[in-house]
Amino acid sequence: MSPLSPIPVTRPATDWLAVRPEAVPGLPPLAGPASVAQPGTVSAPTAAGPNDVFGQLLRQFVSEVNAHQQVAAETVQALQRGEPIPLHQAVIAMEEASVSFQLMVEVRNKLLEAYQELMRLQI
Amino acid sequence: MIQILPGIQSTASALTAERTRLDVIAENIAHAQTTRGPDGRPYQRRVVVFERVLQQAAERTAGTEAPTTARVARIQPDPRPPLLVYKPGHPDADANGMVALPNINIHEEMADLIAASRAFEANLAVIKNARAMALQTLAIGKR
Repeated sequence: MSPLSPIPVTRPATDWLAVRPEAVPGLPPLAGPASVAQPGTVSAPTAAGPNDVFGQLLRQFVSEVNAHQQVAAETVQALQRGEPIPLHQAVIAMEEASVSFQLMVEVRNKLLEAYQELMRLQI
Repeated sequence: MIQILPGIQSTASALTAERTRLDVIAENIAHAQTTRGPDGRPYQRRVVVFERVLQQAAERTAGTEAPTTARVARIQPDPRPPLLVYKPGHPDADANGMVALPNINIHEEMADLIAASRAFEANLAVIKNARAMALQTLAIGKR
């Protein structure tokens, strides 16, 4: 029995596929590394297409952080409604949400840093 | 869901179990002088028994042993006999003037209370440390 998951998440999960467009319109799609044919090697086929693996990973990660936030919000609301939820469970849920959000911010900072580093390249 | 804080499942379950223990100790102290219950007999001291529970298979991460959680197995009565005190004026006294008081020693209950409170505190310290570890790990990326 998980002590942190008896509260059902009633809010619908955000559909990140719909929120985030696949690519900026007007720009040609970027060629991923797997589409470049290496001589002598066979590129391994992936289920979701070779270009989108990292994007899907990010999407899954963001939705998990979102789920943490929703669990925390639900627990606090249930506590305020007077349901018999132990106080520590609400605080732990809030803390988990907070730390996972900080992890997401760190990942975003790293990505942005890499992007800016690439943009500074002198050709 | 990602496990962002290490060891949080076991600790959270232990906190819940210790809370129950505290509830039972509070009941014991509250009924230290109760000479008559619904069954007409004096209150009997109650003891909490903890047990170790395996996590459900779905929550295990592959390759690692699943952490176990603690929970209250049962709350059972203390079999010690009630305390007989000579109080001839008491409404619940028998023919010899003896009153059956609950088998509760208030000093014992206070010691139990402190033990439960310290155990709760230790689990809180685990949570605090888990959070500090996670934040320090995140600080690797900062410069």
